[in-house]
Amino acid sequence: MLKYIARRLAYTVVILILVSMSVYLIFSVLPMDPAALSCGVHCKPYIIEANRHRLGLDIPLWQQYWNFVRGLFVGRTYGEGSAAFSCPAPAFGYSFSRHACVTDLVKEAFPVTLSLAVGALVLWLIMGLTLGVVAARFKHRWPDRLATGFVLVGTSLPTFISGLMMLLFVVIKFNLVSPLDMGRWVSPFDNPVAFFKNFVFAWITLALAYAAIYTRLTRSSVIETSSEDYIRTARAKGLPEKLILRKHTLRAALAPIVTMAGLDFAGLLGGAIITEQVFNLPGLGRLSLRAVLQDYDLPTIVATTLLAATFVVVMNLIVDLLYAFIDPRVRVA
Amino acid sequence: MSVTSKGRRILAGVATSAVLVATISAAATPAASAASKSGGTLIFVTQQQQLDHLDPTRVYTGRDIAFLNTYLFRTLVAYKYSAGNAGYQLTPDLATNTGVPSNHAKTWSWTLRPGITWEDGSPITCADVKYGISRSFAQDVLPDGPTYAIQYFNIPQNADGSSKYPGPYKATKAEQALYDKAVQCKGNTLTVHLNKSVADFNYFGTYPAMSPVKKSKDTGEKYDLRPFSSGPYKISAYKIGDSLTLVRNPKWNAKSDPIRTPYPNSIEVRFGIQPDVIDQIMKTDSIPNAVSFDGLLPQDVPSYFSNPSTAKRGLLVLDPYTRYQAINAASINCLPARKALFFAWNTQAIIDANGGSKYYGVPGDNVIKPNLGPDYAPTTGNIHDPNWKASGNPAYAKQLLDQAKTQCPDVYKKLTVTGYSVDLPNTPSYKAWTPSISAAMKAAGMVVTYNFIPSGQYYSTVMNTSKQGDVTRSGWGADWANASTVLPPLFAKNGGFDLSQNWNDPAYPGFMKLVDQAMGETNRAKQSVLWHKAAQYAMDQYWVLGIMFSKAADAFGSGVGGVQWWGPQGTFLFPKMYLK
Repeated sequence: MLKYIARRLAYTVVILILVSMSVYLIFSVLPMDPAALSCGVHCKPYIIEANRHRLGLDIPLWQQYWNFVRGLFVGRTYGEGSAAFSCPAPAFGYSFSRHACVTDLVKEAFPVTLSLAVGALVLWLIMGLTLGVVAARFKHRWPDRLATGFVLVGTSLPTFISGLMMLLFVVIKFNLVSPLDMGRWVSPFDNPVAFFKNFVFAWITLALAYAAIYTRLTRSSVIETSSEDYIRTARAKGLPEKLILRKHTLRAALAPIVTMAGLDFAGLLGGAIITEQVFNLPGLGRLSLRAVLQDYDLPTIVATTLLAATFVVVMNLIVDLLYAFIDPRVRVA
Repeated sequence: MSVTSKGRRILAGVATSAVLVATISAAATPAASAASKSGGTLIFVTQQQQLDHLDPTRVYTGRDIAFLNTYLFRTLVAYKYSAGNAGYQLTPDLATNTGVPSNHAKTWSWTLRPGITWEDGSPITCADVKYGISRSFAQDVLPDGPTYAIQYFNIPQNADGSSKYPGPYKATKAEQALYDKAVQCKGNTLTVHLNKSVADFNYFGTYPAMSPVKKSKDTGEKYDLRPFSSGPYKISAYKIGDSLTLVRNPKWNAKSDPIRTPYPNSIEVRFGIQPDVIDQIMKTDSIPNAVSFDGLLPQDVPSYFSNPSTAKRGLLVLDPYTRYQAINAASINCLPARKALFFAWNTQAIIDANGGSKYYGVPGDNVIKPNLGPDYAPTTGNIHDPNWKASGNPAYAKQLLDQAKTQCPDVYKKLTVTGYSVDLPNTPSYKAWTPSISAAMKAAGMVVTYNFIPSGQYYSTVMNTSKQGDVTRSGWGADWANASTVLPPLFAKNGGFDLSQNWNDPAYPGFMKLVDQAMGETNRAKQSVLWHKAAQYAMDQYWVLGIMFSKAADAFGSGVGGVQWWGPQGTFLFPKMYLK
């Protein structure tokens, strides 16, 4: 098992190196010039060149990448003369648009995204699993039809619509949370009530979309598992239906759900871009979005991409390990 | 300053200060109340994640200049904090005068008043102002500000136009000496030596880039996060993406500041609020002490101003910009062809697509906007020509094209066969214009193609003469209340924003003669008359088309009093705002 984990972790490092190289490569071939962005209306070639120098884009691509890798281990210094300043290791770079070391930006944004993802995950698993199991148990009856309706609404409503509707017609209309406080990061350890108030609507918005998918998935998985021979055997042995469901059906039905939940969770940790944007949550998604669309901020883009890739790769590993635990038929090689 | 934003949002990095007269407002502007009172927290809400800049050297948008100059930065001189035309007058701020010219306005002096202090109570000195100005030269550290102004200083330049003085951070002794010769302090008097006569250079003294910076507090690139205050408030907290909080500066000496009236106890700017949410807050008045920093979304403007209960909490006024299309006179180097384009253009379709004349704007007859005070005068010809129609006059355009066919067959061929190109920012709203433009041109027998350029790189692209198309969407607001910040930038080769590329046009020398006369005229009334002639001359050359005098729509809560429009920077008159 340890050997397996070590091998997977080694793969992870290789993948992250390839991802970071790809981002640099893609960034270099995009038809846009970050140095020209802040040039403004009185743009002159020498101003663009000064910008390019400031951003560290006036050196060959391989050297830019080398500086990035080096910075991860020894930190980086920017500027010259009395205007010089540093970002300590591990330095993902400096965001000139945010005036901050990217590592610090990521450190600030991650707890927000983590809070959003964990809260939403808990909510959608509770909703999705419960509705899915109920729908499966009462197949083709009204609870099943009701669940199907929920699935239809949940999957067809994009989060930017459901989020905005939630904000405009619930939060603001009934003055539940001041829109100015919405999205403000408050640590759950400092003020759990404020934390809950600021996140609950974002959790619901995000969970609605995912719960719909998980309802459908759980329903089909439970129905499929229920027709397995060993379930029939359990019934033949006279085991109560609730026990069969809890001990036999759900355990097997959960395996694909756990896989999917792990990957969805990993994806969210990379940034729930739309939900963060709608609810003004200063998480990784909003950080990435701004870096890509507004600032063309390469260091931030690389850092958030690497982080997202890490989450996906690591969660894949965890899911594989969990899979073996949940379903005894599976063993890791 | 140029603009590309069509609706409510000023694009990041696009500079603007501007002039505007509230008397032209389409809606009533609430007058200052005698009930002004102190206390409370005034909240500004915006979808922006941060103010473009807090560093005085780098701030360059009219709204932000007005905001920061009101609360944080004192400048050498200021516009009067008055609504209407009085707001365009200069008044001393840190200085005891509005600037004393000598040597044919090539030398300017200001004497600092006594009792002016930083937020730590230390006195503001002439050396602080001199240091603050020097930072504008460090363009590799502090880009984005009104960098064009450094070309006025009497400091040698490199072949590429950059200054030989690289700013205070890495200047050698010899380089520093160049600056020290051009900007001098003698006691409390600051003297600036320019390389040419600039009769209105004292207006530049209203810019934060000409304000003091305390050297020991300068953190270079990071000064943008926490500038040291000289005004009635200081920064208590600033978190990008969240909020900026200003609290009273106890070291501010009210006796040394005759112009500021700091009513609220604190000021908050809340960032990252969704535009729809902001408009909803304004419509429902759910946060009475809030002011929208962005203005209303175009789709919300009609309903907001047609409802009396919300309209009384709004300002609908001409915005600071003249929006227009520059015709590239280097490629369309033929007057009848340019006129054909002008008369074929469907201005009405663009107005209608943006909410109509009442809310979006009206066709303009001059690149100088009426709110520039005495420098605007109605022109003749162009939209006053009987043949001009807001929706385009294809028949007349065809007559003009016939003239072009004889005078300039190559240009005629371009317009009618191979097609001419229009530069537009690559946004859905600009893309929505194209069907009406294409239809109007087709009706006039012309062929049009489009260059959609990413918004963030729009100006750096079109400012490159080799990349600019035949017609370029643009906009401009005056830097200060003088057409010297409009006509030369737009139509002089070295003006900085000559998208008309008109310097080889046979009419260009005649235009420059008028500009030179106006620039050298120190009598303001006579100067205005010269600007009228120069504007008429430029309009007669049809170097631009589809001019629009556009409007801004702002909203505020019922708990905010003293809300008025301030012309010089085209935004709220911040010092008069108080909480009821």
